[in-house]
Amino acid sequence: MPRLLSLYLAFPITTMQASNTFKQAFLKRMLLGLQLAGVSSKCMTIQERKSAIKLSADVAMACARGSTNWSRAIVTDLSKQEKNKVLLRSILGKDFERLIKPCHHTWKIPRSKKILKRSFRECSRRRKGLRAPHGLATSVLARVLVKKRTQVLKRLIPGGEYLDGSYLLDETLDYAISLRAQVDLMQRLSKAFEASKLGSHNVCTLQARGDSYADK
Amino acid sequence: MEPTRSSDAGSGNSGTYTPEIAESIRFEEEIQSLMRENTMHPGLEPPPVGGGGSSFTALLGLPANQAVELLHEPESEESPAVAIASASGGEMWRFRLRDPKALTLPSGCSPTFPSNAALVERAARLSVFATEDSPEAASVPSHSGDRSTKPKAEPADSDSQPICPIPGERPQRPAKRKEADKGNKVKGPAKKTKSAEEGSAKGAEENTSGSGEKLPYVHVRARRGQATDSHSLAERARREKINARMKLLQELVPGCSKISGTALVLDEIINHVQSLQRQVEVLSMRLAAVNPRIDFSGLDSFLSAEHRCTPTS
Repeated sequence: MPRLLSLYLAFPITTMQASNTFKQAFLKRMLLGLQLAGVSSKCMTIQERKSAIKLSADVAMACARGSTNWSRAIVTDLSKQEKNKVLLRSILGKDFERLIKPCHHTWKIPRSKKILKRSFRECSRRRKGLRAPHGLATSVLARVLVKKRTQVLKRLIPGGEYLDGSYLLDETLDYAISLRAQVDLMQRLSKAFEASKLGSHNVCTLQARGDSYADK
Repeated sequence: MEPTRSSDAGSGNSGTYTPEIAESIRFEEEIQSLMRENTMHPGLEPPPVGGGGSSFTALLGLPANQAVELLHEPESEESPAVAIASASGGEMWRFRLRDPKALTLPSGCSPTFPSNAALVERAARLSVFATEDSPEAASVPSHSGDRSTKPKAEPADSDSQPICPIPGERPQRPAKRKEADKGNKVKGPAKKTKSAEEGSAKGAEENTSGSGEKLPYVHVRARRGQATDSHSLAERARREKINARMKLLQELVPGCSKISGTALVLDEIINHVQSLQRQVEVLSMRLAAVNPRIDFSGLDSFLSAEHRCTPTS
């Protein structure tokens, strides 16, 4: 019955990927958000609909991820506008309060042990390798370049301007993995919707769409 | 660092103690000053000044076997450690030591054990060892606040050599390091791992591989020919962390593993994240264009069916 989900989860894992529980929670929350945002009604302009869909997608991603720095930053930034607040509250329910609540910044992202192990292996492997000889000018130049890019990265990652160093890179990794899952889900959703639109002119249920999607 | 951590006595360098006698005396004085200053934590009482010095040599006066047994004994029991923070001038490193009472139980030799704890702490400050097991991993979140202050090590710590006891106590050296190894834990999950190219690389390897299994504690050792004062140690640890994360990010972004150099890799990462965000925008526009035809009537049954079946995969 959840064939849409089962196909979604059978995606081949190439590199690091978001967990399956994350994807499930994400999909559920996104569909709930789409429904509550009232995107099916005809009275919205396409811009409004697009921003509602994007909001619903971001909120679903943040909620499914749990309590990380970027996820809380997303929810907080979105709730700064009053018109979003009601929608957010209805989508998230009690998670809204949990995500909005200020939290300790030094809290570590719960990362899978696999990634931690890999990180340590890299660390030990790196120590055995050679280091390039550093002159003074090159290191200064490199530092300046890296600093510039770090600033750009801080602006990209939600809530990144308050982080630094390895924390920022942690957040980037986590955020990039979740973004990838979000893009993947939205691609599949849009394919499913477009396929159902082409397949039948009648109004379809989501399950039927899931079946036709799974038959591909 | 010393090459051997085995308990057999008599192994070690000969004739290298003469320049280090003065250092051990300095060390002793510093311990005494530490004990005097250490009034922050109630668990640790500063012993009398004379007692401090005498107990230091008392520890060293132990025969090798007894000392080793003393050190092995508390290792077998999982008694909760007493947290001790060094109070000397802005010192931020924290250690967990075994309960001093537990340590005196098996041997019953040294009555003034707290000074030995400070000695061990001092030993650990110069070379911090991770333990295989970290039963205090649960306490990690409570001490996560210390982690940010961790890199600030004691500025006065300029001892770059491992602790070498005065001559005649040579067998104590491996024993002491054992104690530092097994009796000390660093609070907080700051993951600093460095190899020791001088000395037991094997020991470092097994420690890092062992600590890779769980949330590890810091494993800091100075590399040969590099500055070993605490500032550069902490900086190097920080850099290692950042480099490890960069490696992971390189794996994530396709085509990034060939690129060398932090700035270029960061470029690629930024491009990747920006492209993902742009893709989200495009897809949401697509969904908005397609959406009015979608009926969510089947959604309720879909979601409720989701709840019924267990979401495990």
